[in-house]
Amino acid sequence: MVLTGRAALLAAAGVVFVALAMPSWAGVGLVVAVVLLVCVVDMLLAGSPRRLQFSRDGDNAVRLGEQAVVQLLVTNPGRRVRGLLRDAWPPSAGVLDPPHKLDLPSGERRRLVTHLVPTRRGDRQAVRVTVRSIGPLGFAGRQGSHEVPWTVRALPPFNSRKHLPSRLARLRELDGRTALLVRGQGTEFDSLRDYVPGDDVRSIDWRATARRGNVVLRTWRPERDRQVAIVIDSGRLSAGRVGDAPRLDHAMDAALLLAALATRAGDRVSLLACDSAVRADVRRPAPEDVLPSFVNALANVEAELVQTDFRIVVSQVLERLGQRSLVVLLTGLDPAAIEESLLPVIGPLLRRHVVLLASVADPHLAELEATRTDLLEVYSAASAARTRLDRDRLTATLTRAGVTVIDEPPTQIAPALADTYLSLKKAGRL
Amino acid sequence: MSTPVGRGTAESWRALRTPMLVTGLIVLAAIGILIATSARTSGPFSPDSTASDGARALATLLKNHNVSVHSTETLDDAQQPGDGKTLLIGPGGSLERADWQQIANAGWSHLVLVRPGSQALSVLAPGVQATGGVLAERSRDAGCDLPAAVKAGTVTVSGATYSAPENAIACYGDGINSTVIRLDLGGRIVDVVGTPTTFTNGELAKDGNAALALNLLGTHGDLTWYLPQLESTSSGPADKDAPPLIPPDVRYIAWALAFAVLVVAIWRGRRLGPVVAERLPVIVHASETTEGRARLYRRSQARDRAAAALRESALGQLHKAHGIPRRSDPTAVVATVAARTGRNPAMLYELLYGLPPQSDAALMSLSQQLDVLTQEVRHP
Repeated sequence: MVLTGRAALLAAAGVVFVALAMPSWAGVGLVVAVVLLVCVVDMLLAGSPRRLQFSRDGDNAVRLGEQAVVQLLVTNPGRRVRGLLRDAWPPSAGVLDPPHKLDLPSGERRRLVTHLVPTRRGDRQAVRVTVRSIGPLGFAGRQGSHEVPWTVRALPPFNSRKHLPSRLARLRELDGRTALLVRGQGTEFDSLRDYVPGDDVRSIDWRATARRGNVVLRTWRPERDRQVAIVIDSGRLSAGRVGDAPRLDHAMDAALLLAALATRAGDRVSLLACDSAVRADVRRPAPEDVLPSFVNALANVEAELVQTDFRIVVSQVLERLGQRSLVVLLTGLDPAAIEESLLPVIGPLLRRHVVLLASVADPHLAELEATRTDLLEVYSAASAARTRLDRDRLTATLTRAGVTVIDEPPTQIAPALADTYLSLKKAGRL
Repeated sequence: MSTPVGRGTAESWRALRTPMLVTGLIVLAAIGILIATSARTSGPFSPDSTASDGARALATLLKNHNVSVHSTETLDDAQQPGDGKTLLIGPGGSLERADWQQIANAGWSHLVLVRPGSQALSVLAPGVQATGGVLAERSRDAGCDLPAAVKAGTVTVSGATYSAPENAIACYGDGINSTVIRLDLGGRIVDVVGTPTTFTNGELAKDGNAALALNLLGTHGDLTWYLPQLESTSSGPADKDAPPLIPPDVRYIAWALAFAVLVVAIWRGRRLGPVVAERLPVIVHASETTEGRARLYRRSQARDRAAAALRESALGQLHKAHGIPRRSDPTAVVATVAARTGRNPAMLYELLYGLPPQSDAALMSLSQQLDVLTQEVRHP
């Protein structure tokens, strides 16, 4: 049973009635009886919310920060239903609309639109639709709920896609597809052309020169059809919040930029998100499918507060990569965790593949180290300095072991990773 | 497609009837138990209490000697006609003078006042005065010719003492004041007993206590055992004529208002569907551990560790800026930096490789000097 302000008003009028007209038990009883009677009759006359039928339609996925539109189709086979309808979603689904006003005559159907701006990555499921049906007198009504399942997936935003055009331009330069006809320094034979003074004499193809009579040069282009395995650490190292998002989200952004770039460069990209278990796994999708499948797989990955088991990571990567490939580990540079769990098991990976470790640095540490006006800040600066020294030492250890390390702040990590990939390609190390 | 959730009316009734039935049974049982136990009295000197300060033993003894004991806590029972009966008035309670007068007018043949107050004494036992003194507990002889006391012999006595008028029999006292006094008011016998503990379960078996109690109380076959309560039925005659402080109408308005408030509460209280809960991810700042360590340094005053970190960090920057090989020894580093910056080598050595600072001020100045040195490197 639901009461309205009108019922409250009636009860208040009852107080005045008792005070002025009937100050007795009979008066009180009369007021209570009248209010109850009116409310019960009105409630019985209200249309049943339970008999309504619902179905949904609309967006299934939305990039984080953009708006999704979900429609709700309400059919009323019973008596006229007037009142309110609330389409309930979890708070982070970001429902913009207040409860809908509903006036649905018998046998009719309405389309109600709910606008969502999710505030967090991942699947957001509609909880329930609650209808409050007020009777014709407007004193009381009935309320009932329906479960109308629908899921809107909030996808990683891929903010770093703004860096893609410039990196693609550099890739074309590398490829030799630009108008300048600058050939790259890769290792794959591309074509023969006439020698121009200034070319590297080591590139002269003597056999072709002998055939043609003039000096002919072999040109090379960067390798294609290489494999890139992107591994995102979803363990506790990625849970740390840098700026306004966890390391994990920055890592996803960088991974998406790298995936887009590597796909354009003709490489096959696969993705693994892993902590103590595999959370997302995309194996060599078709080129046009890379970004959608990655974004979908990453939508529901959250940082877990467990230590990442790098043995799983290594065995998974080894299992899916045949030829020599680029393995990109997106994790944090935490000396204890990396030295204890990654370094002992990384050997097999380093022997067969090129390993790149990318970590999101916290710009707050540099701030802490720079400000030293009072004693606490001096201690903070010392502590930040110690952290940085530990990271530098770890970077040196990893570099000695043969791992390329990128340690950049959140705004720089995605372009830095793309640049490192391009320079590896340029150097023919893939 | 949609599924209705929650219960319909018929379902609600089916789901709720068992709990409602059980609740009803529990309420009925509680009411029944209350009724069954309400007749019984409790507390000190109660004939139903088996505690050591109760008087169940005495009541049982009296019943065994064919005295019917009627225990009550209501004033009306004490004010009913009592010809040929005994009324025992227990200690405590706060009755008005008019109430005592009513009891006096009821015509009890035998009144036993156990440790009475001054008001009860002045109405029921004129001439007897409370002295305010207390008798230490020990066995005493009666010291009087009251038959009941003489038959009982020595009795363990303790409690309030009273002074008796000339015509009274006073027993168990210190010679001047007594704890047991019998007044004969012509057709009514009044006993004043200042020692209730003598008759309680804990003490009844000692000496001649039981005998004294039986002889005192067993004079008639019908004993009303009245324990006065704190309430009083009579209000002063002035109150009855005065206008009531609250007009009676206000009561009905208040009830109507309460109903209106209930309606408003239901109107505002019902939500449009349940609150939606959500599992949120844990938020940890990446620099949390670093800041924690800074607080730890400060609390333990780890100046040596802090200084070492600051020096190492500064040295790293100097190495990079001046192209000093990583493994060079301190003197070489100091020489190079001194040559580049024009500083005193001895002071530079002290700054970069000196002893850890001994005070917070020294740590502050060390940090500032290192900062200046590295700033010079960055912005020559």
